[in-house]
Amino acid sequence: MINDKNSQKIVDIIQNFARKHSLFVLAYGTGCGAIEIPPTMTSRYDAERFGIRGAATPRQADVLLITGYLTTKTVKRVIRVYEQMQDPKYVIGFGSCTINGGMYWDSYNTIKVLDRYLPVDIYINGCMPRPEAVIEGFIKLQKKIMEGRAEGAKHYKENLEWYRANQKKVLGPTTPHIQEYNW
Amino acid sequence: MEEKKAQILEKLQKVFPEISETKNDFPYNRVDLRIEKNKIPAILFYLKDEMGYKHLVHITCVDWLEEGKFEVIFIVWSPVDKIKVFVKTFLDRNNPVMDNVDMIWRQANTYERELREMFGIQFEGLVAPKEFILEDWDDMPPMRRDFDTEAYARKRFFARPGREDARDVRQTIAERTGEEIPDFAKKYSR
Amino acid sequence: MDFLIKTLGAIATIIVAFIVGMLYMGINRKITARVQNRVGPPVWQNYIDALKLVSKKTSVHHGVMQHLAPAFLMISSMGTLLFIPILRGQSWFPNLSYHGDLIFILYFMVLGSLGMALGAGQTGNPNAAIGITRGLSQMVGFEIPWVMALVAMMIQYHTTSISDLMAIQQQHGWLMFQNPLAFLAAILAMLGMFRYSPFDIVGAPAELASGPISEFGGKYLGLMMSSGSIFAFTKLTLYVDLFMGGASNIVVLLIETFTLYLIPMLYGLVSPRYRTEQAIRYFWGWPTVLGLAALVYSVVI
Repeated sequence: MINDKNSQKIVDIIQNFARKHSLFVLAYGTGCGAIEIPPTMTSRYDAERFGIRGAATPRQADVLLITGYLTTKTVKRVIRVYEQMQDPKYVIGFGSCTINGGMYWDSYNTIKVLDRYLPVDIYINGCMPRPEAVIEGFIKLQKKIMEGRAEGAKHYKENLEWYRANQKKVLGPTTPHIQEYNW
Repeated sequence: MEEKKAQILEKLQKVFPEISETKNDFPYNRVDLRIEKNKIPAILFYLKDEMGYKHLVHITCVDWLEEGKFEVIFIVWSPVDKIKVFVKTFLDRNNPVMDNVDMIWRQANTYERELREMFGIQFEGLVAPKEFILEDWDDMPPMRRDFDTEAYARKRFFARPGREDARDVRQTIAERTGEEIPDFAKKYSR
Repeated sequence: MDFLIKTLGAIATIIVAFIVGMLYMGINRKITARVQNRVGPPVWQNYIDALKLVSKKTSVHHGVMQHLAPAFLMISSMGTLLFIPILRGQSWFPNLSYHGDLIFILYFMVLGSLGMALGAGQTGNPNAAIGITRGLSQMVGFEIPWVMALVAMMIQYHTTSISDLMAIQQQHGWLMFQNPLAFLAAILAMLGMFRYSPFDIVGAPAELASGPISEFGGKYLGLMMSSGSIFAFTKLTLYVDLFMGGASNIVVLLIETFTLYLIPMLYGLVSPRYRTEQAIRYFWGWPTVLGLAALVYSVVI
């Protein structure tokens, strides 16, 4: 009865509905994009009406919002934060710096393509994207969740060795190596 | 203001005859002077203790690649005189070693760590952790002018497929559609 | 048969408390949003949040106490609820209210906080440790006027039973008019009990990364949210029983509890956050003076 395919489908629909309408966001404020988050959350654009609210720690968060360029020093912290989050989890890459390097394309210390190191579900382009674009991105993510296509975390688990190899290329010997963080 | 600046230089030159080059004809409250590197702690002590230049604004470095020199600049400020004094010194680019000054201002420690990491300047007797901003750095100090940051970035980081040439997007669009980029936009192109 | 009905009644009480508490918190979020000139989330947003948190995976292990802490919270809030009479003069939802009295409830209410302190302490997160210190010090602050108000009423009517107090209020009128000083002290203590602004330093997200709950996510956070909503309803019902004579039916109960709930909510909307020592100074100031005056009044009368 429980393992029946149809009942599983109904459970999935209910769970996806709940996940879609309640996104706890951990905004990892790197770069200039962090300044776009307060107007998105406060009275002018009010993302809370879509059920989007801030979470203070990775344990409580569903969405990791990476707002701008990542230096090699921060990417290590971001990977640790991502791996501390609990399933299901999603990543939003924010601004052209996370897509192709943006204006830091020739910098010696910032990574250029975020989806080589973390599984990105949605990219929001722009330099910087305005709060309207951010909300649009969140709504795209909600659609993906409802359709059951937002499976970045699953992809990360399945292709962990590929991601680890990419991370090792940038981070060298100090790449995080534990998958579960219980400390 | 002009007399004050001249007075300061005069007083310093009396105590430190090694001062080689001075400049005070700036339109704002700035005085420049150049001195050899082993006199730096002495002149900074003198400025702080005797003349009231209590505040260390900044320590920075300029890479004169063609002359083979590093120029280290200490900026100090006095809340009484309201004048900034730029103390400059030249280091040999192949052997950039100078004295540590963090016993005069403790915050100098941070600046010296930065210069050590970004330019490879060794401060003798500096006690600080090895890494400041760059973690596991194994190449030439990156702020030196002969460091090719683009080549390094290409070697180390992945590029988005189709964007390896890092070309201006407007150029690609213009070629595809046959339009011309207007003049005002050209100056923002790479 | 009797036992079965009682069990079903207890479960129904808990479900009603959960639904009402969540609804109040949803209304709180909506009103907060409207005060800040926002549209705000729908009132049922908290139910969705709880559903999502329960459907999240939880794979964090710090030790046994960390797993028990949400259970402690839940036991404390549910147990307190069951020992409080929900409706007056009716055989519905009597639960265990004839076995407990005010002194028992005073002790039982803090059980959850202490269990939470143990659990959060074991997570090893420095933010959690700071949050616990602040939370427990703040509790020392508001417990004093709260206990004084209760003791004043116990002295005035020579009983510690909530049912007896409710019966007495039927004859003499509401206690909030019989001993207004005690009521005021208790209301001021309630501001701290709800941990809304200005007394929300315990779980301040910007300063402490949400304090004691910073290592709890997923199902545990869902449990904490549910127990928080049940506890909110419990406290409001206790206040209604003690000071407003209890409610004769569920509609009156909802009206009275919501009116009381408006006090900490609206006070919080217009107040910035107090530091711990400011909060303690607040509670040991006028609320304690009012509590002392209530004690004197109850002895004299």
